[in-house]
Amino acid sequence: MTTTILIVHGLVSVALLGAISHQTLAICAPPNAKPQSFFGRFRAIPAARFANAIVVLYLTSWLLGAVVYLYFKIDIQPTLERDRHWHAMGFFDLKEDFVVIGLGVLPAYWFCWRRSVDSQHHQIRTTLTVLLAFIV
Amino acid sequence: MSASALRHFVFAFGAAFPLLYVIARLRGLALFTVYPAQGVVLLGMHRSRDFTDPVLDFLAPEMHWYGWTASAAVGALVIGLVAALLPDRLSWFWAWCVWIIPLMAMIACVYLTIPWFRM
Repeated sequence: MTTTILIVHGLVSVALLGAISHQTLAICAPPNAKPQSFFGRFRAIPAARFANAIVVLYLTSWLLGAVVYLYFKIDIQPTLERDRHWHAMGFFDLKEDFVVIGLGVLPAYWFCWRRSVDSQHHQIRTTLTVLLAFIV
Repeated sequence: MSASALRHFVFAFGAAFPLLYVIARLRGLALFTVYPAQGVVLLGMHRSRDFTDPVLDFLAPEMHWYGWTASAAVGALVIGLVAALLPDRLSWFWAWCVWIIPLMAMIACVYLTIPWFRM
């Protein structure tokens, strides 16, 4: 059961990574990019359509990760501690923290993408998208 | 809820959540503690050594991450609801906080994780 959840968690995460990287590149690509260029094609993507999918995928990934974490704590962490993999533990801790921070900004991210925005909100939208992309 | 109030709510929530999470992590303010090996959830922050001999700590590993997340969520919800009632002229404040505070919180989390890399 745990293995199945872990595999689904991985698959959802890959889908999330694809969606958020597409959206981030679409909004960060230079506006004067040639239509047939790499960045031009990315800019042509309707980035707003990814927003709902990203929110759902992020929440699903977080939920599955939170379930798997219970088994990690019992079955995996003692082995990591016994073998003194402190760096791995540190990176895992950091991932946990970043994931929760991303969870907190998710409503603001969703709000910024669901509305036609002015220049100030456009800046916030870009920043939050890049922030979430970094976390993912 | 009007669009303006909703904007204040989501921006204040987004700013408060990371801040409260870092505070909860620093001060140990978990709403509940999970003991996965026993399948037990206790209200508040607890340490295994409060119940067992310190050398038997590994038998009952505790998890505070869920409790910290819940504490931050409840606090941010309250702050978000209060922000939704505040006047519109404060919207610039929340608009700045919603991306600056998460960034600062991430830096704080990196700082809190440093001990792992010094071991």
